[in-house]
Amino acid sequence: MGNFFIGLFLSTLITAILTTRLYRLFVWYGLNSIFLGTAAIIIGSNIADTAMIVSGSIAIILKGFFIPYVLKYFSKKFDTERNIQPSIKIQYSILLIPAILVFTFYLVDPIFHAYNKNYISLSIASLFLALVLMIEHKAIFPKIIGFLIIENALFLLAMSATQGMPMLIELGIFFDLLMAIIIINLLLTKEVRHV
Amino acid sequence: MFELLFIPPLFILVFSFFNTQKTKKILPFISALILIPALMLLFQQEKFYWHQYIHIDSLAKYILLLSYIVGIGVTLALESLQKHVSISIQEYKRFYRFFATFWIGMILSITANSMGLFWVGLELATLSTVYMIKTNHTQFASKEAWNYMIVGTIAISLILFGIILIYAAAKPVLGEEAMLFTQLQSAIHTMNAPYLFEIGFAFVAVGSFIKMGFFPMNLWLANIERASHYPVAALFSGILESAIMTGFFRFSLLAKSINESHLIGFTYIYALFTLFIVAFLIYRVKDFMRLFSLSGIEHMVLIAIFWVSGGYFAALLHFGAHALLKPALFISTGILESKGKYHIAGALRGFQGYKGKLFALLVALFILAIIALPPSPIFFSEIFGFSAMVEMAKKSHHLLLMFTAITFMLFLLAIIFYKFVDIYQQMKYSGSEEEKNVYSSDIAALIIFAVAVMILLANFKTLQTIV
Repeated sequence: MGNFFIGLFLSTLITAILTTRLYRLFVWYGLNSIFLGTAAIIIGSNIADTAMIVSGSIAIILKGFFIPYVLKYFSKKFDTERNIQPSIKIQYSILLIPAILVFTFYLVDPIFHAYNKNYISLSIASLFLALVLMIEHKAIFPKIIGFLIIENALFLLAMSATQGMPMLIELGIFFDLLMAIIIINLLLTKEVRHV
Repeated sequence: MFELLFIPPLFILVFSFFNTQKTKKILPFISALILIPALMLLFQQEKFYWHQYIHIDSLAKYILLLSYIVGIGVTLALESLQKHVSISIQEYKRFYRFFATFWIGMILSITANSMGLFWVGLELATLSTVYMIKTNHTQFASKEAWNYMIVGTIAISLILFGIILIYAAAKPVLGEEAMLFTQLQSAIHTMNAPYLFEIGFAFVAVGSFIKMGFFPMNLWLANIERASHYPVAALFSGILESAIMTGFFRFSLLAKSINESHLIGFTYIYALFTLFIVAFLIYRVKDFMRLFSLSGIEHMVLIAIFWVSGGYFAALLHFGAHALLKPALFISTGILESKGKYHIAGALRGFQGYKGKLFALLVALFILAIIALPPSPIFFSEIFGFSAMVEMAKKSHHLLLMFTAITFMLFLLAIIFYKFVDIYQQMKYSGSEEEKNVYSSDIAALIIFAVAVMILLANFKTLQTIV
């Protein structure tokens, strides 16, 4: 069951790369975080790890609902352009995404632990795909979403490859994420649309 | 004792909510308070604090002391910030607020024994730097603040990615303790997942290199330091790069125990390529900020190379000298470029009176020290570092290759040396004279750095015992 949700996580990420509308991008990011949190809760209950269940629930509430809502509020407040065209054409993206996935599976091939090999390759692939999402857009909000999806990829790696990080580190990461959102709020001004 | 380290930054944080015009004079003294716990730590035995998450060894002590001196110097220079650049009262207060946050993050990351805590401190410092860049109210600065936010967070995320992979490699053996540097170092040979560890180390190294401005991010760092006010650049070169370098030191020691030849090949190729690019970027540079930040990248390259070659003493000496000289140069840049004029020609002319003469002398000495003219500590560290590289090559079959690499490096360093001497002569002998103001706080900051460099020169023996 955890595998199923991780698959959904990857599919929402790929859809986010191909999307051309800003609010739809927020929705995909929210769904991505919800599937990730659900997978964390399922894996955590399988190995009886309370810390992972807690951080999965925090991820669902914070990243699935709160952050997309805040970002939507910012984009309304600063009146941003909602039509975001990727600068990489869709036919090339369709070739690039599987290439990245195949490459990461090839990369982790020499690892001996058979149990979590695929998860490691999937999280490295999501890191690269999030970088693609950042590269292909000129507007600022997709870049922020790309950064947040990198955080999700980190979370996926932490929960699958290591069966849970120490709780203190998890909380530190959440705290830094909130700090990042505060900083983004301070940085957003009327005149900055494109970087 | 460790808790006392956080008191000065917290005080600065609280004071930033009051009228800074009145409290400005007290702040340097408050930041100087941090020397008391730092010196007490220096003369104590090693200790674990707080559930093994914090561990202050001699390396951490040394880097803490350096960063405190930089912090005190920068608080002194911040006093006269309003006289050199235009900044509103509100922005000035915010600057202090984020400076305090930055400092807290820095202390956490330098003293952390847990890899995760190291990362959390680094992220806190990075995010607070973003806003410090934004305190400059230009279009350019706000664009660069975004650039820094995006590239910096990517770099930091790569570091965390690597940390998690290393944790995954060590967890079957060590359990929850796989997060701790000390435990990892002692149990590194029992690890049965070297490949996973090396992927993790590659992520960490690439993340740190991006953050320090190695290839392909050289101009990124230079632009950011150009856009921000000069104390930010001083903090960046003096403290933030030091903290990242600390992480690289610790991780590369681990990687060395796993597979030394991989580590050396990776670092040498990356660093020499960076040095090649940076030398020519320095050659065509046209203003002080970019010159000094690119030269900072060059010194970071040298430190990384000396460290992985086993010249620990050389690397630490170079590190200390750079962390003291570069902030001093950045602070003096604020005065050399006063009234927003960036031209190099004649920058050292037109300083009147006792303060002005002293300032011109100090800046000249710092510029000549940063390009390794003896008796600068950088000169000694380069001699020791190159000899360490040759020593390392003697043990393998790559002596000829190493001589080629050293010749190549010396050629690139000669280009940089030529450019610096050229710039120094332009500052001194060409251009027109203009009246420039120097304030006591600037001079005090520069004198602190000069005295610290002298103390560093007198303490080679202590440095040799650190690693």
